[in-house]
This record gives sequence, structure tokens and C-alpha cells, in this order.
Amino acid sequence: MPRLSRTRRGRTNASRHQDPAGAAESADGTEPDARFTLANERTFLAWSRTALALVIAGLAIVQLLPPFPGVPWGRHIIGTPLILLGSAVAVISYLEWTGNQRALRRGEPMARSRLPGILAVTIAIIGLVAAALALVSGGTGN
Amino acid sequence: MTTPAEDIEDTDPGMARERTELAWTRTAVSFAALGGVILRGHPYAGIPILGVSALIWQLGRLAGAPGAGRSRPRRLLLIAVAVTGVSLAALALTLIGPESGGLRI
Repeated sequence: MPRLSRTRRGRTNASRHQDPAGAAESADGTEPDARFTLANERTFLAWSRTALALVIAGLAIVQLLPPFPGVPWGRHIIGTPLILLGSAVAVISYLEWTGNQRALRRGEPMARSRLPGILAVTIAIIGLVAAALALVSGGTGN
Repeated sequence: MTTPAEDIEDTDPGMARERTELAWTRTAVSFAALGGVILRGHPYAGIPILGVSALIWQLGRLAGAPGAGRSRPRRLLLIAVAVTGVSLAALALTLIGPESGGLRI
């Protein structure tokens, strides 16, 4: 069954390289092919950079953007959700890394990542709020 | 052209180790960029972030080493804690920090 799930994910080539001598059996499954572990690690690192970029973007909006005329909290309304989203992505990506690593060790199918959905929905909402803010604040105030 | 020798393929199949080391480097550079930008306005916040960046750089050099699997959860937890810490500091700065007049370009 584990082999079947890997086949469905197109990883038959990779399992050929699995070294039986290096595969340490333990109570919590088998040590997976190093490439799966490393790919999981890269995915986590990529999400971490995304989280860091979201925090930087939120901070830049609040600290560098000129205030919206007539909407004193306008910058905070956009910036704070971005920073919170960055924080959430950092935590969730670590939890998903842990879950994926456990699934790899046990040969179970991996759970589908929730991060793309969270990221898309939150950024869409922030975009709509930013558009509304740009319309309401009315011009650059020059 | 020439196919790589079998032993090369075995030491780093799919260049997975090298790609992972490069991903660590990118993460370290991201932290360094943030630390460098913050250093101007808030030196006491920028210096620790640059320190974390240097630490991630060092950890990235170990990432590809065979048999490094045991310490992996702790190394990745460091990244998660660092990003969360930075975002909480940013949140505190935006909520209780001094009001910024914005950058005049």
C-alpha cells in the first residue's frame, strides 16, 4: 500500500535508489529516501521565505507608505493582516513539515497542504480592502 | 553528452542536497536583507536578525551532510521560531510603535 501511494505520486524512479541498508526500521516507520526528506525541507524553507516576505511587506506598508488622506488607520488595516498572515504561514508550514515527514516515514499519503488556500483567500481579501481604501481616501492628497 | 558516473548519481541523486543547501542560502539571504533594512532605523532589532541570518547560513552548510537527519527538526524549528519572532516584533512595532509619516519619494 505505501508503495502504491508513491507510485500514484510518480515517485517510482526515486524509490529505486532507496538503500535497504540505510533504511533504519523503527517504531515510527522507516527512514524515507533522503530526497523526500530534503524536498520536504526545501518546501518548508520556501514557505518560510514567503512568510518573511509577507512580514516585510506589511511592515513596509505601515512604516514607509504615506498616510491615506482621511483614513488615519488605512495603512494598519492593510499592513497588520499581512504581518499576521506571515506569522500564520511560518507556524503552519512547520506543522505541515512535521506532518509530511511523519507521512513519509510511515508510507502514508501526504495530507493536502492548506497553505495555498489560506494564502490566496487572505491576499484576495487584503487586495479588496486595499482597493476600497484607495477609492475612499480619494487621491494622493497633494 | 556524457552521462554522469554511477557514484556521482549516488552521492547526490537529483542534486537534492545541493538544491537544499541553496534553499538554505536563499533563506539566509532573505533574513540578511531584512536585517540590513531594519539596521538603519532600529539597530538593536537589526543586529539579532543579521545574527540569525549568519546562523542559518552556517546551518545550511550542514544541511546536505549525510546523517544530519537527527538535528533536522531542531534546525527547522529555529527558522519557524525566527520568522514568528520577527513577525511578532513587526506586529508590536505597527501597533504600539511611533506613527510614521511615510517615506517621501
